[in-house]
Amino acid sequence: MPGAALHLPHPGWHARLELGFETRDVGATARTVLAHRRRVGPLSVQRTFHPEGEVCHVYLLHPPGGVVGGDRLDIDVQVDSGHALLTTPGATKFYRSAGEYAEQRQHLRVADGACLEWLPQETILFADALLHAQTRIDLSGNARLAAWEIQCFGRPTNAETFANGRADFRFEIWRDGTPMLLERLRVQPDTLNRGALLAGQPVTGVFVLSHADAETELAAREAMPTSGFGVTRVDDLLILRYLGDSTEQAQRGFRVLWQALRPHTLNRPACVPRIWAT
Amino acid sequence: MATAGMAMTITTTNTMTTDPLARLRLLQLVSPTLPIGAFAYSQGLEWAVEAGWVKDEAATRDWLAGLIADGLAHLDLPILARMLAACELGDELALRRWAAYLLAARETAELRGEESVRARALTTLLRDLDVAKAVAWRDTLHLAQAAGFACAADAWAIAPRDALLGYAWSWLENQIAAAIKLVPLGQTAGQRVLLTLAAELVRAVDVAMLLGDDEIGASAPALAIASCRHETQYTRLFRS
Repeated sequence: MPGAALHLPHPGWHARLELGFETRDVGATARTVLAHRRRVGPLSVQRTFHPEGEVCHVYLLHPPGGVVGGDRLDIDVQVDSGHALLTTPGATKFYRSAGEYAEQRQHLRVADGACLEWLPQETILFADALLHAQTRIDLSGNARLAAWEIQCFGRPTNAETFANGRADFRFEIWRDGTPMLLERLRVQPDTLNRGALLAGQPVTGVFVLSHADAETELAAREAMPTSGFGVTRVDDLLILRYLGDSTEQAQRGFRVLWQALRPHTLNRPACVPRIWAT
Repeated sequence: MATAGMAMTITTTNTMTTDPLARLRLLQLVSPTLPIGAFAYSQGLEWAVEAGWVKDEAATRDWLAGLIADGLAHLDLPILARMLAACELGDELALRRWAAYLLAARETAELRGEESVRARALTTLLRDLDVAKAVAWRDTLHLAQAAGFACAADAWAIAPRDALLGYAWSWLENQIAAAIKLVPLGQTAGQRVLLTLAAELVRAVDVAMLLGDDEIGASAPALAIASCRHETQYTRLFRS
């Protein structure tokens, strides 16, 4: 594979970002801090924020120009203790490819007793984009999680479809080595319009919260917009889904649900990341 | 690689032609009369019909064709192939790992509930039919019905490729039976869809038998929403 890349017009860059969080005593109180950071290529974070005291809010900055075939993004997050909230200031864009796949691998690990909120804005795949994407979340012991991902195939606002693109999205949650949720959305021209698959809808998303009980599920059903969303609970995992034609509707729905459910599963009122308001 | 594939095909063909009893055992295993309650489940189809997503023969065919090409070919069938190998090798750990994998890939509580209820019913039946692994590996077989199906196919000397075809067929036949009641479809229309989609099943098995471990996995977003919504559907005939 690396040998073959030499003959292509765009050799592709390999961006890698490692983030490690842990709790530190800051004065009289404990705070989660970004204790480890290592970056290669155009993936970065700026300063951290603590708008609600202990929790560490971080904005992940993707390559400003978007991602093309042959590029590779690796994100590795480890929360050893405390509570980290990660989001992005804007959508991650994958542009059309001349033939090579872009790769995105995200590995998020949360230690026993720690908490991660993974709330990125949507991933947009332009027409003819080729992408292999994988998010694997490993929880240990009693680790807590709130995580969503939203994908947009084509650009519906420009009437641009994903007619010739291909994508393979894996989204997996494991606890102590046991699979809790294994999603794999394979998108290719013949699956876009299939009734049971994407049913001609360009936008899909999944939002998962751990530590959900029957009361959480009830709260979700009350807060959930009626059209395009679904909710189910398997063991302590609440799974919310969206399928429709608008990334804005998906974002808004998930944010409303997050605000309603955060007090249930994370024992905290919602504290909206400032970047979402811009 | 090509040689190994060819050797496997030849073995399969031989097993099929030399063991008529194994063929009859397969027909028994995939029969709708097998008392594991398959008829009670629509797998989201009931809500899809209620919502107007599936309202005629063409939409039924499209709904099922998508699930065959994606879910069966990339999830159920390649996992069943690995389960059959695990049974043959006596490797309960591998069987358990794949059963847990399959269960975690079911999108909703209702679909996982169906998997577990049907798995238990099948395990009990196989115990009563003297399939030894149904006793020794009971807890593993309770995770997913494909695990029990694999043990039965192994015990009854059903060739792997035939077992995959049979599993796919029984799923499709059950979905058609649900569609006939729900959409509703006429009996002839139901048979027409079966006749058309059977060819897709053969293709799905061919795809499934060539997949590597890393290529396994499938999700169906619209089915997942339909199944979520079915959990609270006001009037319903089916348990999923």
